Amino acid sequence: MGSIRVSGLSKTFRTGPPAIDNLTFEYSGAGAVGCLGPNGAGKTTLLKLLVGLLRPSQGHAFVNEIDPTVDRKGALWDVGALIETPEPYPTLNVHEALDAVGRSRGLSRDDVDREIDRCHELLDLPPLGHRIGWLSKGQRQRVTLAAAMMGDPSVFLLDEPTSGLDPAERVLVRRLLNRLKRDHLVLMSSHQMLEVTEVCDQLIFLDHGRVLLRDRVDKVAARIRSRQVDVEFERPMPQDAMATLLAVGAQIVALSERRWRISFDGRDETRVRLLELCQSLGPVVQFANTSLVLEEAYLELIPKTADET
Amino acid sequence: MFQARTDPPGTLDVGAVSRDRVSDFEQWRIITLHQLEHYLRTNRFYGLLGFVVLISALTLAGQVDAGIAAVQVQQLYRSSEYLSNGLMYTGLWVILAAAFFGGDALSVDFSTGAGYYMLVLPIKRPVLLAGRYAAATLVTLAIVGVNYVFDTAGAIYFFGAPSIPWGLLAASLGIACLFALAALSVAFCVSAFVRSPPAGVLFTILALYVGFTILQAVVELVGVEPWFSLTYAGGAMAAVLDTDFVHIQNIPLGEDQYYTIWVATVSEGLAIMAAYIAVFLPLSAYLYQRKESTG
Repeated sequence: MGSIRVSGLSKTFRTGPPAIDNLTFEYSGAGAVGCLGPNGAGKTTLLKLLVGLLRPSQGHAFVNEIDPTVDRKGALWDVGALIETPEPYPTLNVHEALDAVGRSRGLSRDDVDREIDRCHELLDLPPLGHRIGWLSKGQRQRVTLAAAMMGDPSVFLLDEPTSGLDPAERVLVRRLLNRLKRDHLVLMSSHQMLEVTEVCDQLIFLDHGRVLLRDRVDKVAARIRSRQVDVEFERPMPQDAMATLLAVGAQIVALSERRWRISFDGRDETRVRLLELCQSLGPVVQFANTSLVLEEAYLELIPKTADET
Repeated sequence: MFQARTDPPGTLDVGAVSRDRVSDFEQWRIITLHQLEHYLRTNRFYGLLGFVVLISALTLAGQVDAGIAAVQVQQLYRSSEYLSNGLMYTGLWVILAAAFFGGDALSVDFSTGAGYYMLVLPIKRPVLLAGRYAAATLVTLAIVGVNYVFDTAGAIYFFGAPSIPWGLLAASLGIACLFALAALSVAFCVSAFVRSPPAGVLFTILALYVGFTILQAVVELVGVEPWFSLTYAGGAMAAVLDTDFVHIQNIPLGEDQYYTIWVATVSEGLAIMAAYIAVFLPLSAYLYQRKESTG
């Protein structure tokens, strides 16, 4: 089973502050780890250090206990990586692009074909005879994801794997990631909190190259979501009726005639009181935590971690 | 230890295939074929091939039209002299092909997404370099081969097949191969230095053709043999076929003044080419190995 370990890892470029600043963590076994953070947080840099595309300024990165700067072939032997926007040669067709990857990973010609067929099914790949240069961005992204999967490596390092995909393709890839993580170790970066929530078990929240937060996703999600709920009534609810919620210190925003977003202090007793008040106003169809995007989650996390320290 | 797993392991229908460790040699073979497939479909390959075919065909057609008398006006009385004369510009084709196929061979990994596809594979970078180097050499030789084919066809037309010095012609082709390796070593080194692929191609042409030609002329003017120039060494491709080979030629400029022209001997040419390969190829590998994907 795969493992990822970084120890005192730092990366500083010629100018600017450290892109990665003294990271230490370790994951092993099957599961998915989401690496979140705003632009410039160091997510891609971390992945590049793990595959040896960058050399650490200090510390070490190990994949399956092998340092890629010492033994690139050994470290990447059991790794499928999708970093930035990979571009196979545009002159080659899908089959040729995947064949070179599979063969260089030690698959026999027959196994390569079997793997391509399997990836074709799982990722709904474009026709194998189509040249890479003809493909759309989403199709190319699926081909490069298939390349990462060739040979069934134990560790996947994926940099925003759903970037550039349309909604249907995103669902397809998320489903695949959810299946992969059962038997593989997946470390993926993302801008999407919702995506990480759906796919990952563990989360690393990076900011300016440092770990802002590292925990189980369900715990983090609960923290982030606990201050906002969306309520949906069976019938339209007027503003003056909703104003009664202000009594418990909540803020309300109308999403539609029947749907309202309520912000509150996050305490469970307030949540219970809000639900009771809503039910007193009329039949409630849904009362659920709001799914926040990364920016909101990020803003939520900063004061919390600051309070804790 | 911080375990990532939260779900129980389940069956996964995404692979589970057996894999054997691949030797560096096998990976080199795979990369060479992969790169060759790419090169042979690029516009630059067909463009350069078409250009060499056009120039060679037009030259031959012009000579055939003018007849043997016109050839002999150029003091080409033997097939070896004709062949040697026809290969005078082979060095240019080699340099152009080396620049086109080697000038961006490595920089492409750090300026486009190609590197994110290839450099994350479990392949040592020197093996990747060696595969691309082999593919670029084969493509360069294909381009140069066209020049040899037309030159040989002309020699057969004017002097007959029995007169062709096939051994010397093969030796010239061997020297061309070494020259291609040397020019590609320089091109690969340039492409390991620069980040922009077009700049790599341009710098290679400027360095190998324009730079060396000018430098060669300047040092010859002051009476120094341009032993450091790869372009000078390339003259050995034609020299090996020249039965009236002259290493040093003094052209009188005035009273007691001469302009000396050096033509590389075969052994001298081979030594210079070998030196270029010995210096620039390991340097390319070192630079490529050290380069980071910071883009």
